[in-house]
This record gives sequence, C-alpha cells and structure tokens, in this order.
Amino acid sequence: MERKKTNIEDIDRGIYDIKDEFTYKYKSDHGLSREVILEISKEKNEPQWMTDFRLKSLEIYNSMPVPAWGADLKDLDMDNIITYIRPNTEMKHSWDDVPDDIKNTFERLGLPQAERESLAGVGAQYDSEVVYHNIRKELVDAGIVFMDIESALMEHEDIVKEYFMKLVPPQDHKFAALHGAVWSGGSFVYVPEGVNVDIPLQSYFRLNAPGAGQFEHTLIIVEKGANLHFIEGCSAPQYKVNNLHAGCVELFVKEDATLRYSTIENWSRNMYNLNTKRALVDKNGTIEWVSGSFGSKVSMLYPMSILKGEGARSEFTGITFASTGQYLDTGTKVVHAAPNTTSTVNSKSISKNGGHAFYRGLLKVTKDAHGSKSTISCESLMLDNESKSDTLPVIELYNDDIDIGHEAKIGRISDEAIFYLMSRGIDEEEAKAMIVRGFVEPITKELPLEYAVELNNLINIELEGSIG
Amino acid sequence: MTKWKRIKLNEFKFPKVTDYNKEYLSYGQLPQGVELNKINKTNNNLIIENLNNNITGVGDEFTSHVMANYNTGISLYIPKSTNIEDPIKLEFNMDDENPTTIDQNIIIASANSESTIIFDYTSKDENNFHNGVTKVYAKKNSVVNIIKIQRMDDKSYNFDSNIAYIEGRAVVNWISVEIGSDISGSNFTSILEDEASEGNLASIYLGNGTRKMDLEYTMIHKGRRSISNIETRGVLMDQATKVFRGNLDFKKGAKLSKGVEEEFVVLLDPTVKSHSIPALLCEEDDVQGEHAASAGQINDNQLFYLMSRGLDIREAKQLIIQASFRPILDKIPMDDLRDLILEEIDRRLLNG
Amino acid sequence: MSKNLLDIKDLKVNIDDIDILKGINLKINEGETHIIMGPNGSGKSTLAYTLMGHPNYSIEDGEIEFEGENINDLKADERAKKGIFLSFQYPEEIPGVTVEDFLRTAKSSVSGKKMGIITFKKVLKEKMKELDMDDEYASRYLNLGFSGGEKKKNEILLMSVLEPKLAILDETDSGLDVDAIRIVAEGVNKFKDENRSILVITHYDKLLSYLKPDYIHILLDGKIVKTGGIELAKEIDQKGYENIKMEFSN
Repeated sequence: MERKKTNIEDIDRGIYDIKDEFTYKYKSDHGLSREVILEISKEKNEPQWMTDFRLKSLEIYNSMPVPAWGADLKDLDMDNIITYIRPNTEMKHSWDDVPDDIKNTFERLGLPQAERESLAGVGAQYDSEVVYHNIRKELVDAGIVFMDIESALMEHEDIVKEYFMKLVPPQDHKFAALHGAVWSGGSFVYVPEGVNVDIPLQSYFRLNAPGAGQFEHTLIIVEKGANLHFIEGCSAPQYKVNNLHAGCVELFVKEDATLRYSTIENWSRNMYNLNTKRALVDKNGTIEWVSGSFGSKVSMLYPMSILKGEGARSEFTGITFASTGQYLDTGTKVVHAAPNTTSTVNSKSISKNGGHAFYRGLLKVTKDAHGSKSTISCESLMLDNESKSDTLPVIELYNDDIDIGHEAKIGRISDEAIFYLMSRGIDEEEAKAMIVRGFVEPITKELPLEYAVELNNLINIELEGSIG
Repeated sequence: MTKWKRIKLNEFKFPKVTDYNKEYLSYGQLPQGVELNKINKTNNNLIIENLNNNITGVGDEFTSHVMANYNTGISLYIPKSTNIEDPIKLEFNMDDENPTTIDQNIIIASANSESTIIFDYTSKDENNFHNGVTKVYAKKNSVVNIIKIQRMDDKSYNFDSNIAYIEGRAVVNWISVEIGSDISGSNFTSILEDEASEGNLASIYLGNGTRKMDLEYTMIHKGRRSISNIETRGVLMDQATKVFRGNLDFKKGAKLSKGVEEEFVVLLDPTVKSHSIPALLCEEDDVQGEHAASAGQINDNQLFYLMSRGLDIREAKQLIIQASFRPILDKIPMDDLRDLILEEIDRRLLNG
Repeated sequence: MSKNLLDIKDLKVNIDDIDILKGINLKINEGETHIIMGPNGSGKSTLAYTLMGHPNYSIEDGEIEFEGENINDLKADERAKKGIFLSFQYPEEIPGVTVEDFLRTAKSSVSGKKMGIITFKKVLKEKMKELDMDDEYASRYLNLGFSGGEKKKNEILLMSVLEPKLAILDETDSGLDVDAIRIVAEGVNKFKDENRSILVITHYDKLLSYLKPDYIHILLDGKIVKTGGIELAKEIDQKGYENIKMEFSN
C-alpha cells in the first residue's frame, strides 16, 4: 500500500486555507501608538469613556513586560501587526446582503447552513469587524440580546460600561492591556432572568488579512436562573507573516444560571493565540467550558473560572492537538472562592510530528471555600518521540475542609492495544486512529455534532501516513 | 530567590559559620577496602574539588555556600561487590556551642556494592542552621539507601541538597523525614543515567505551628528502562505551609522508562497552606509517566470506626496519621530511630 | 478426509533471544478441535501469540502454513483477514471506542465489505441475543471496566461476529472461574461446525468436559511431547505434569 507522508507544509487544512483577496475599507498603520488608537476609536464613533479606557490600557501595555514564562514570543513583532482592519462592508442582518467574497468564506465554513439547521443565532466577524449578526425572532421576543459589541456599546451602553473588562482588567497581563487598547468586534449576549435558550448561539471569527491582529471582545451575561450555550469558532488562512489573536472573553453567570461555552479554535499555524477567557459564577451557578485547541503556532490559553457564590460549579473539558511547529500551552484555572463549590477538569492532549503540548493549570481553594471539591485529570498522548508533552498543574490550598484529587498520565499508544485491534483485522493505521479517537471521545461527545465530525476528520488527516 | 516566594523567604541572611566540633559518626563493622573519612576544612579532601560540583539543589546560593563553608561531613568509598551490613550513621545535634552544620558528603558506591547511610539532624537551641550537600555516585548494579531525618528545633533553619548519579541497574533509595525547623528547603535529585537505573524516593512530612517547607523531588530519566518512584505522605496543621514539587523528567532516549509520583496530604486545620506542583515533562513517547495527588481531611468513616471502639477524636486522628506514615517509616532499618521519629510526630500532633 | 487448514512445521520462536518454542509440529484440519495442554512456562501463550503474529515473538525457524500458504511474515490484521482469530486471555481495554463501533470496523475490515450502521446493528443484536448479552453492552467502551466474565463473553461475541476459520482460544489462566468456562464452552460449541476449526490452549482440563476434542497435545518445554485423545487429559489429571516430564526427560 502506498502511504502518504504528510507534514505541515502540505497538510490540507481544506476550507480553512482558502484566502480571500485582501481588500478593506480602512486599516490602521502597522504597530501601536496613541494616534492609531484615537483613530480606531474615532472610526468606531465611541463614547469618550471608551476612548479614555483605550488610552489608559495603552499606557499599561507599554509599562508591562512580556511574560517571562511559557511560549517564546520573540518572533511576535508588535510593530508589524496591523491592529485594525475594517472589512469592505457594513454589518448586515441577512446573508444576502453580505458581500459575495465574505459570504462565500462563511458558506465554505458552513456557517449559514448551521444557522438554518441548528443555531438560534449567529454572529460572523471578518477581520476586525462583525459583518453579520442575526438571531431568531422568538429569542428577541424573550428579551435576549445578541449583537455585535459595537452596537451594544451604542444601544446598551450602561450594561457594557458596568461589565466591560471588569473581570479581565487591562492590568492583568500585557496582552489584556493590548486588548483593552485595540479591541474591535466580538459579541454581546444578554439572557434575562429565567430565560432558557434551548439551541446554541454562535459567533465565528475569521481573520483573513495577513499580518493582522484580531482583538474581539465577547461579553456574556446570563441572569438568574437563565441558561445558554454559546459556541465560538475561529479560523484563518495560512500566511507567511505572523498574525496575532488577543481576544478577551468575559462571562458573568448569575445565581442558578448555567452557561456552556464551547470553543473550537483552528487558527492557521502562523497565529499567536494569546487569548484571555474568564467566568465569574454566582451562587449555584454553573460554567461549562468545552475547549478544542488545534491551530495556531503558539497558544497561551487558560480559561479561568472564579466560583464566587456558594455552591457554584465549573466543568472544564479540553483537548489540545499539537503538531509540527506548534507550541500549545493550554490549561485552565479554577478559583474556589466560596463554600461548597465544585470543579471538574478533564484535559487531554496529543502531540505529534514535533509538536509540543503543554498543560498548565491552577487550582486555588481560598480559606472561605470550605466544603469544596475538585477533581482534575490530565492525560497526554505522545505519538512519536519527535514531540514533547509537559504537564504542570499547580494546586494551592488554603483550607482543610476540602476534597481534592488530581491525576495525570503521559505515554504513548500501547503496542498491546494496537496488536489487539490488529488481530481483529484492523490495519495498523486504522488501529492507531481508532485508539486516538477513543482517547478524545470524552471530549468529542461534548462538542456540537458538526465539530465532533470535524475533530475526527482532523485526527484522520493528522494520522494519515504517520506510520512506518 | 523567586523559588522561595511560596514560603515567603524573600532574602536569606546566612549566619556566621563556626566549627562543628562534636562527634557525629558511628558505624559497625566495615568490610575490607571501605574508606570512610570525616571531612572538614583543614582536612580537605581532594575528591571534593574534583567531583562534579555543578548542582543546583535547593538553589545556587545555598550549594555554593556549602562549597565555600563546609565544616563537616563524610567521604565514603565502597569497593566493588562489598556489602556494608550495618548502617553508617551521621548524627548532627546542633546547639549553642555548635550552631551550624554545613555538611558535605560524598558517597561512591562501586559496582555490585550495597550500603545504607543514615543522616539525623537535630538541634537543641534556637537559630541553629543546617545547610548541606550530599552526592551519591551509584555505579553499576549497586544499591545505596540514604535516609535523611530532619527533626530540628522550631526556630532553626534547614537547607539540604541531594543528588544521585545512578548507573545501569543501580538503585538509590532515598527516604526523607521532614518534621522539624522553622524553614526547611530540601531537594532530592536522581539522575537515572543508564539502562534500568532506578531511583526511589519515599518521604513523609509533618507541618505544625507556623513552620514552612519547600520540598522538591526530581527524577531525570535518561537511560532506557529506567524506573522512578516518588511516594510522599504528609500532614499539615495549625498555620503550617508546605510546597511539594515533584518532577518527572523523561529525556529523549529514555525508552520504556516508567515514573510514578504520588502525594497524599491530610489537612487538619483551616489555616494551613498546601501547595503542590507535580510536573511531568516528556520528550520521549515510549514511556509511562503518572502522577496522582490528593488532599483533604481524615476520612470520616475511619474516624467514626475508631471512635466507636472507644478512642477519642485526637487519639483516633493520631492513629490514622501514624498509619499513613507507616509504610514509609517501616523502610527505616533501625527500630530505635523509628521510635524516636514516631515520638516526635506524636509530640507535635499533641501540641497542636 | 477433510482439508488441511493449519500446518505448523518445526516452529522455533524466541523472545528477547531466549528460545521458547523449540520445534513445534502440528496439523489441524477443517472441523477439528485440538487442545494443547501444558504446565506454566511450557510456551503455550507464546504459541498463541506467534500464530496471531505478535511483533515481539520472532520466528527463528520453521513455517506456519494456513490453507497451504506460508503466513510467517503476515501482520496480525492480515492473518485476521485470512480467517485466524485469537481469543485473548486478557483482552486490552480501549477507552472511548464502543464495542459496536469496534466490531463494525473489524467486521468490515475482515470481510472486505463496508458494513452500514443499520445493517450491522441488526447482525450484532442477533449475535448478542444468542450469547444472552444485554443491548447496552454495545455502547460500552471496549473491555473497559468489564468483569472477567464480561471480557470473555465479549471475546466470544467477537468470534461469532467475525466468523473465522480457525479460532485459537488462549485460556491458559488457571484462575478462570466457572462462569467464564461455561461462557467459553457454550460459545465454542455454537461456533463449531464441519468447516471451522478450534485450537484451545489451556492449563487445566476443566474446559474439556464441555468440549469434545479430537486431539489433545501436551506441550513441555517448547515441544509437543505427546498427542492423543481425551484419555491423555485423564492421564495428566492423575499423574500431573511432573510425571510426564519425567517420562520425557530421559
């Protein structure tokens, strides 16, 4: 049998790699300055407090060092990242009105079809601005707000002002400050008290421009007793220059509310993905993170759950797949800050063809969090000895009345398991793929169906020709 | 000194080093060819300078302080195929007259040899200080057991760096008992150099009062089929702080190696601080690495069972803690020493 | 006379350079049931794994012929496709892969025909019913958290779905419980017909009362030292392996 040897250069990422011609209505200069930021703010017609906030964030950005741990960021040249690109269109509420080239991109990514079939609402961002936003009428009638954040800033200024970058302040780290200064686009969701959104809302972020940054801001507020599933998808075509994604996600889960936040990130492998995500959970509320990290050149991503109210819960389910040229430093942070809070972390990683997967996590139980429970499980699969895999969980306990369990495992596919499957007539390649799919199954079953299928396809592409 | 931020040791001022004049060495029958010598500044041993001194241990500032200031210790050479049956014992009992122990210990275990060395650090008076480096060279097929007991006074300081270079099929068994001193930093590093090298570390710690400790155990797998085991049991009470760092580091080429680390800590008071950082680093696919950690209170059912048999809560807790320490204490080959440790644990549990 | 299926000629196998099988000769014809018995360490499991093509067992000398074709160099999956099946003593646990998905993939692969999900479900349900297995079984992860009896049952289910020509049952574990023995025996008896052959490798004779073997072979120190009918098992039962060993040590 002829076997294809694949590697990064010729991996067919299919639909993700199709580039559109780079056209735009407005773009900022390369790099960062007060002038660039004032221009962005002016272009967006923002209230003065937001302009001031951006300028303040810029100061903080300039005063903070690049993180000394984790990924090597020396190839990330901020002076050459374009921070703002307005695509050649205004925001539309019907796909028919979106310009053909942009619409075709999203058609290829399957977004309009998903909207018709399985989503309650969709937002689509192209480069720095949201180009499409729509939500089913019954949800609007129920009082749910789902719009791009720029519009929210106009129509719901009070709410945005109350919550914007309160959970992730610009002082948090250098890239949070950068985000505060140059953020653009993103989604705003508000679910009123007691409202259940049965089918998911989705935002899709597409970065088409080369050498650009995407800095979308997602702000979700789920009021008391309400319920929401939000899906975030990200992709970009491959260019030779480095792109930067420094988005920010702030989630407020109120008493008895539940929010599931699913992300499938398949950025191109020239992307620095330095994203910050955080959820604040009130009494008996629940945050569920489902996180798939496949793309990007470098990722540093640690969604954080702050369990602020008694009985709050968090659940993190994550899969990271690092291949050639990728350093994916991912994990999760959980802070138990109230009594009887519970958390579960289930993380899996795969490294292959020289990829480096790094799990970095923090579990902190404060002195007030008596009666809290946490279970953490990290499993890493190495598919060859060109790759690397590291696990570094930090556990900080400031209370005795707790129940904490942590487990981690690292290794490769067992030869005996392969032999067992082969003895049933399955060839070696398929046997390996089967075991890898089984390994990620606990994650895929949490994903929306189309993403689960996509993940399995991705594994098949990655494993093809990897044997021999 | 970023390493020490978790136990808030911002800047450490080394005390003045004076001589350690007490007798500290005892041993039974030494087989022919064994060379056991005391080390001190005047009787400087050439091998110290010639051995690989480039170790980090608990921190460069501490290991280089030992190199510059050592005032005691041993050098031990065990010839091929020699079994030292009676353990060699070093007892450092610091007091006002001998307040500093800066020990430098070199152990060279030739092929097929077997030996056990016990280090027991105690202190009587306040502000006693121990800072030491122990290096073990375990040649092919040798077995070296190193037992380190640190039960110094609550106002004393302890820093201890240990490293073993373990050749093919050699085994180094570390046993560490950490139950004393105000601030304690210890590091045990095993370098598994070759085919089937084996490093085992079994430790117990007890933190009471306002004591702080930073314990680091590192296993570096280089050889094929190398094996490592870290097994730690701890108890924290009062306002004690503990940092556990367990590192399993599989280097490329360490095929078919296996490493396991476990830390179980029992927390007795709401004011304790327990940090655990179990790291798994891996650049070889054909290995098995595992770590497990758990933290929590004493199991209610066990407590209830014992109390239903007439024990009061304190006695019941004490018994359960002793039971959790047992498997590790049982590895100490001297009954009297084991009893001393148990007594010290009891004393600390009761004072809490 | 029925057709020859398996012909093992002077098979020598070593693991990590230690000789385990020291010249095995064995012929199995279609429809026959053979039992290989022997004490621990005689090479029974090695023979089973070698026949299935485990990469750790290297053939030093000799031949394995299946339907007249030398299969020495075939990989495990290729042998499975030819119709060889090994029931494992300790089947591997594969998390995340359901029994049903696994069986469908294996069946498609062995038969060379892509099996539709719905068609296969029907077949599977039938087979499971025959073995008195609960439906929820199909959606469990392969062997994960299965009891000893369940694992055994699952192996037998695999055998009945894959319909091999030669089934090799590695039952060397003396700790096999009564339930497991019954499951194996019933499964084998259902499976058996005039074309299919069975090779059971076992330590004890407990299985024998359920199966009607045509031949019993005694394996000692990597060689078949005695072949006979059911009476051989009785001899072992009475004398033990030690005495037989004595017989052959001279």
